[in-house]
Amino acid sequence: MPARSLSATFALAAALTLAVADARAFDETKFPDLKGQWHRIGAPRWANPKTAPLTEEYRAIFAANLAEQAEGRQGTDPTYTCLSPGMPRIMNAYDPMEIVVTPHTTYILIEHIHDSRRIFTDGRDWSGDIEPTFAGYSIGQWIDEDGDGRYDVLVVETRHMKGPRSYDSTGLPLHRDNRTVVKERIFLAKADRNTLHDEITVIDNALTGPWTITKTYRRGQDPQPIWREAVCGEDNQHVVIGNENYFLSAEGHLMPTRKGQPPPDLRYFKQSPK
Amino acid sequence: MRRSSIGSIVLATALAAAGAHAFDDAKYPDLKGQWTRISPPGQPAFDPSKPRGRGQEAPLTHEYQAVFEANLADLAAGGEGLWPGFTCRPPGMPPLMTAYQPMEIVVTPGTTYILIDHIHDTHRRIFTDGRDWPTEVEPAYAGYSIGQWIDTDQDGRYDVLEVETRHMKGPRAYDASGLPLHHDNRTVVKERIYLDRSNPDILHDDITVIDNALTRPWTVTKNYRRDPNPRPVWPEYICAENNAHVRIGNEAYFTSADGYLMPAKKDQPPPDLRYFDQAGK
Repeated sequence: MPARSLSATFALAAALTLAVADARAFDETKFPDLKGQWHRIGAPRWANPKTAPLTEEYRAIFAANLAEQAEGRQGTDPTYTCLSPGMPRIMNAYDPMEIVVTPHTTYILIEHIHDSRRIFTDGRDWSGDIEPTFAGYSIGQWIDEDGDGRYDVLVVETRHMKGPRSYDSTGLPLHRDNRTVVKERIFLAKADRNTLHDEITVIDNALTGPWTITKTYRRGQDPQPIWREAVCGEDNQHVVIGNENYFLSAEGHLMPTRKGQPPPDLRYFKQSPK
Repeated sequence: MRRSSIGSIVLATALAAAGAHAFDDAKYPDLKGQWTRISPPGQPAFDPSKPRGRGQEAPLTHEYQAVFEANLADLAAGGEGLWPGFTCRPPGMPPLMTAYQPMEIVVTPGTTYILIDHIHDTHRRIFTDGRDWPTEVEPAYAGYSIGQWIDTDQDGRYDVLEVETRHMKGPRAYDASGLPLHHDNRTVVKERIYLDRSNPDILHDDITVIDNALTRPWTVTKNYRRDPNPRPVWPEYICAENNAHVRIGNEAYFTSADGYLMPAKKDQPPPDLRYFDQAGK
């Protein structure tokens, strides 16, 4: 009888512990430790463009873009005027990345142009109207793949992007219809908990089939890392007037970006230019 | 007695386990959800209880009152004045807390994040990990913020987040009227962020600004209301998208709907085109 009573006391305490934990506390130990500052490994390129399974149409668009870039234009890379890179390009992690895990949302914070994301993990579905954004709308699910009682993979699907978007500054394009779907598996390397992988599969009508690549990030070891503010609108030397891109010189004068580029049309000014 | 001891050990073990592994949400005020500023309709003022511009009655020094008046004259002539947001530079602290777009507050044990997708996709970090001021801090528009959670009524739960922010950079103004902060960027901002006692869906931020453009510390209170929607819409705000403001050198211009450069002020000269081979059309 005393033994049964003792067991009952332990059982009650255990039940209370779990109930208290569920009701009041966020049990961090169920989630992988993603704290800290993550840096991309390698250059901020999506992949070797030659490996991109582009359709014929988009292969031609990419080639035209490269020709434009060669003569000083920006081609199909839209971020020079401080437009957000959008998904999936955000995950190039141009600047250090922080991942904040809460029970219902995982936040990806990247201080670059406009690169932060919310990944909703509260069990919601795709119903309802969703306004397109560059970052898209991301729904995630934490998975305990090895059945050890702890989550180890965040599976994410992102839809409802808007454009223009490219994979990186080469201008490698996504389809103009913006019907891209991005699927990700985000997980720590089993052998090195300071290495993070993001397996990214892009499904896009500019591709002949789904395109999967893996991005890898390394955790900085400073427990109080420096988070630099990046403000694209500050000191941006690109000026767009109509469909033309110009530069600003160091002394603040408008400059052409390519040989023979005409100056802007000044029809709305009374005076002639100097 | 023995049973009581066992019970105590079990409870202590349970609490220790919770302390070691879990973030105890219940110790912090519930700040979840989407917060929208409470202010009169129209372009918001820094002090929401007073009219914008001169009506703010900011305790400016004589020098900065003159700077402010010159800014108002420039605005009246079609210029941009001192508000840096026209060209997509972020408001920085303290106007960031005007919450031009909806605000989310994410509380974690070491950092409280203020997320506002306005000009910049601001993720203001308020460090609550007990750190001291670093010896070197790179200035930022949002500054560097250190906070401390306070249990003012000693009921075992935190109820106020006290924050101090330093190391801002500029240019910054309090609001779009161009009400200026000092060029030296030695501003210190102190805040007390707390839920309303009678309505936990109202949040207050008492903000005290200490700045060399002021004759004394200036305190205002900003208020925010929580959206009851448990899954609110978070709009994306891309300043560079469709921004008609163009700055060339020290001059501000517009681009017209048909894609041509336009003057922003009466009789404004066109930009200097010395680097182009051809004359303008």
